Amino acid sequence: MSAIDPEFVEIFREEAAGRLDAIVEILLDVERGGSPPDAVNALFREAHTLKGAAGMVGLDAVQSLAHEMEDVLSDARAAGSALPPELVEPLLRAVDAMRAGVIPVTHERPEAVGATAAESGPRVRVPAAKVDRLLDLVGETMLHRRRLTHALGSERSDDPAVAALVAELDVGGPLLDELKDAAIGMRMLPLSSIVGSLRRAAREAARGAGKEIELVLAGADTELDRALLEELSDPLIHVLRNAIDHGIEPPSERERAGKPPCGRIELTAVQREGVVEITISDDGRGVSPELLAQAADDTALADLLAAPGLSTALAVTDLSGRGVGLDAVKGYLESRRGRLTVGSTPGSGTRVTLVLPLTLALLDVLLFRRGANVFGLPLSSVEEALMVKRRLTLAGDDSIDVRGEAVALVDVADLIGADAPVPVMTPPAILVAAGGKRLAVICDRLLGEEDVVLKPLESPLANVRGYLGTAVLGDGEIALVLDPLELVRGTDRPRRARPGVESMQPVLRSKVLVVEDSFTVRELQRSVLEAAGYDVATAENGRLALEHLERDADVGLVVTDLEMPELNGLELTAAIRSDPRRSSLPVVIITSLGTEDDRQRGVDAGADAYVVKNAYDQQALLATVGRLIGR
Amino acid sequence: MSDDVFVQLRVGAESYALPVEAVIEVTMLEASTPLPGGPPELLGLQNLRGHALPVYDLGSYLGGHATPNAARMIVVSDGGRRAGFAIDVVTGVGPLPERTDSDAELFSGSTLDGDRLVGVLAVDLLFARLERAASR
Repeated sequence: MSAIDPEFVEIFREEAAGRLDAIVEILLDVERGGSPPDAVNALFREAHTLKGAAGMVGLDAVQSLAHEMEDVLSDARAAGSALPPELVEPLLRAVDAMRAGVIPVTHERPEAVGATAAESGPRVRVPAAKVDRLLDLVGETMLHRRRLTHALGSERSDDPAVAALVAELDVGGPLLDELKDAAIGMRMLPLSSIVGSLRRAAREAARGAGKEIELVLAGADTELDRALLEELSDPLIHVLRNAIDHGIEPPSERERAGKPPCGRIELTAVQREGVVEITISDDGRGVSPELLAQAADDTALADLLAAPGLSTALAVTDLSGRGVGLDAVKGYLESRRGRLTVGSTPGSGTRVTLVLPLTLALLDVLLFRRGANVFGLPLSSVEEALMVKRRLTLAGDDSIDVRGEAVALVDVADLIGADAPVPVMTPPAILVAAGGKRLAVICDRLLGEEDVVLKPLESPLANVRGYLGTAVLGDGEIALVLDPLELVRGTDRPRRARPGVESMQPVLRSKVLVVEDSFTVRELQRSVLEAAGYDVATAENGRLALEHLERDADVGLVVTDLEMPELNGLELTAAIRSDPRRSSLPVVIITSLGTEDDRQRGVDAGADAYVVKNAYDQQALLATVGRLIGR
Repeated sequence: MSDDVFVQLRVGAESYALPVEAVIEVTMLEASTPLPGGPPELLGLQNLRGHALPVYDLGSYLGGHATPNAARMIVVSDGGRRAGFAIDVVTGVGPLPERTDSDAELFSGSTLDGDRLVGVLAVDLLFARLERAASR
C-alpha cells in the first residue's frame, strides 16, 4: 500500500491500547499464579492481531516487537504448556516498548471543550458486562423503591411514622435518579467513536461518483447507548452515500446553479428529552417538487422515500436510488423505537434525521388493561388516547373516525391471541403510530403513564414474538410491553420479517463478508473493497461470520483472517465447506502467517485462495476477490 | 450409588429428580401473568424478586397429566436460562440408587427408589425443548 491514511493509524492506536491492556491483564494474572487455562492462546492471538494491524498501518517497530512476542509465545503454544512465569517480566517490557511505539510523538490532548476534570482525568477500562450488571442493579433498586412507594401510598394516614417514611423516601428519589443517570452514562459512548468510518465512506463515495464533498461534523461528542452505536454505523453510511450519490450534484451542475463546486454535507447530533437526533443534511438538488407535494410533512416524506420500489418508479428523475435501502434504515430505526424524517427544499438540499431513544433499558410506557393482562406501549409510539364513540364497519373490519381519517380499530387480544371477554361497545382506545401506519387499539381500562425498567423476554422465551419485553410494576404485577411495530404488522398478514441492518445492502451477489478480529484491519479491508464497488459486511470472528451467513443470503465471498477467538479462519472455512448450502461459497484466507505449512492447512480446510498479510496490497486482494466472485 | 445429589419431587402420581446444582429454590406457586402468544405448556410469568420468570406445568409438559392443584414451584437454571415448574411436593434431597440410562427424551436416566420409579431429568435437554416450543 502507498501512503497510510492517518485515520487508520488513529484507529490502530485506539485498538492497540485496548489489546496491550488485555495483554498486561493476562500477564499479571499469570504472575499472580492465577493463570487462566487459555492464557498462552489468548496472548498469542492478541500479539498476532497487533502484528498484523501494525504492519498494515506501517508501524514497523511495533510490528516486529509483536512478531517477537508471538515467536516466544508460539513455543509455549506448540508445547501446549503453561506460560513460564519468568517470561512475564520481559513480555511486560515488550508491551511498554510497543506502547511507546504506538503513542504519537506529540501528545495530542483531546479537545477538552467543556470536559470536566473527571472526563479528562485517568481512565478505567471496565468490561461492558459489568456496566450492564450495574445498570441492572439500578433497575432493581428502582423497582424496590416503587414497591416501597406503593406500600406506603396505599395507607394515606396521619400516622407521623408513615409521614416520616414518606419524607425519607422523597429524599432518596433524586439520589436514585442521579445514580441511574450515572450508570446509564457509563454505557454511553460518543458518536465520535464511529466518525472515522463515516469520513472514509463519504470520501470513497464521492470519489466513486466523481463529486467533491466536504463533510462537516457537529456534536460528535453526543453520547449514545453503546449497543445502539455499534449498529448505527451502517445506516449512517447508507444515508451519507445516498446524499452523495443522489443529492449532491456534479461540480459542473453545481456551478451552473450558482453553488460552490464542492458539496457540503453536515452531520449533526444533538440530544434532547431522552432522544438523540442525528441529522445528515446536504446542499444538493433536493427532492423533486412533485414528490414533495405528495408529502404532508417530514415523516410522510420519509415514508414516501422509503417506500419499496420508489427508486425504480422515479428512475427517470434523478432520484434513482434515493429509496434503495432507506426503507431498511427506517425499519431499523423503528425496531429500536426510533424514527426517520426527511425534509427537503428543491434545488437547495435535503435533510435526513434519525431519531433514537437515549437508552434501551428504561422506557416511558402507557399502561392499559385488556382481559387478564396489563399491557404497555412505548409512549413514543402513542399519539393519543381516546374514547370510541362510533364504529365504522366495512367488510367486517371496524374503524373509527379520527378527525376525518378512518383508522383501523383492533383488539389487542385478537392480534396476539389472548383470552379476553368481548369489549364494551364504546371502549377506550389508544392511537398507535408505527411503521408509517396508525392503529386504534381497544382496551378495557387505561392505567396511565409510567417510566418502567424494561427487560426483554429471555431464554427459553426469547423467541416469542410481539413483545419488547416485560416490566414489573410497583404493585408487583407484570406488564407485557408490546412492540408497536409488530402490532401494526400483525394486521397485515403475512408477517414481514423485521429488517435488520444487514438487509440494508442492495441485493447483489457481489457482497463480501470480511471476517477479522482487528478493528483496524477490518476497516482497512472494508474501505479497500468498498472503494472497488463491493458491498461489504463484517464479522469479528468465525462464529459471528457463520451467524451472519445464516441471516444474509447475499454474501458472495468470504475474506477471513486465520487467527481469531471463538472460531478461527480454518474452522470457519471447514464449517462453510461442510454446509451443503454454502459448499461453493468462495473463501479467501488473509493472514500474516506465511509458511508453506499454514498455506497447506488453509487449502486442506477448503479455502479457495490465500493472501499473505505482509505482502498484502490492494491489487493482490482485489484481483483475487474479482477472480473468485466472477466479475 | 454415586455421590451426586438430587432434588426429588412428585408431580401428580409421578416422581422425578433434578440435579441439585440446577435447582435454585422451591417457592410458592402464585397466580401468574399469562403470556399470549407463548407456548401452550407455559402457565405464565411469575414475578420472582423483580424478574418475570416463565412458569411451566411440568406434569403436562412431560406428557403425563396437568397438575391443576400444584401449590409449589421449583426454580431451575441451566447456564443463563431460568424457568419455574409447577410441582406438588419435594419428597427429598439426596443421592439416588444406581441409575440406568434412559432412552426417553428429556431424561438422563431412571432409577427405582423403593417402590417408585424416578425419572432423572436432563436439564439441558429440557431447556432446549422449551426454547424450541417458544419459536413455533
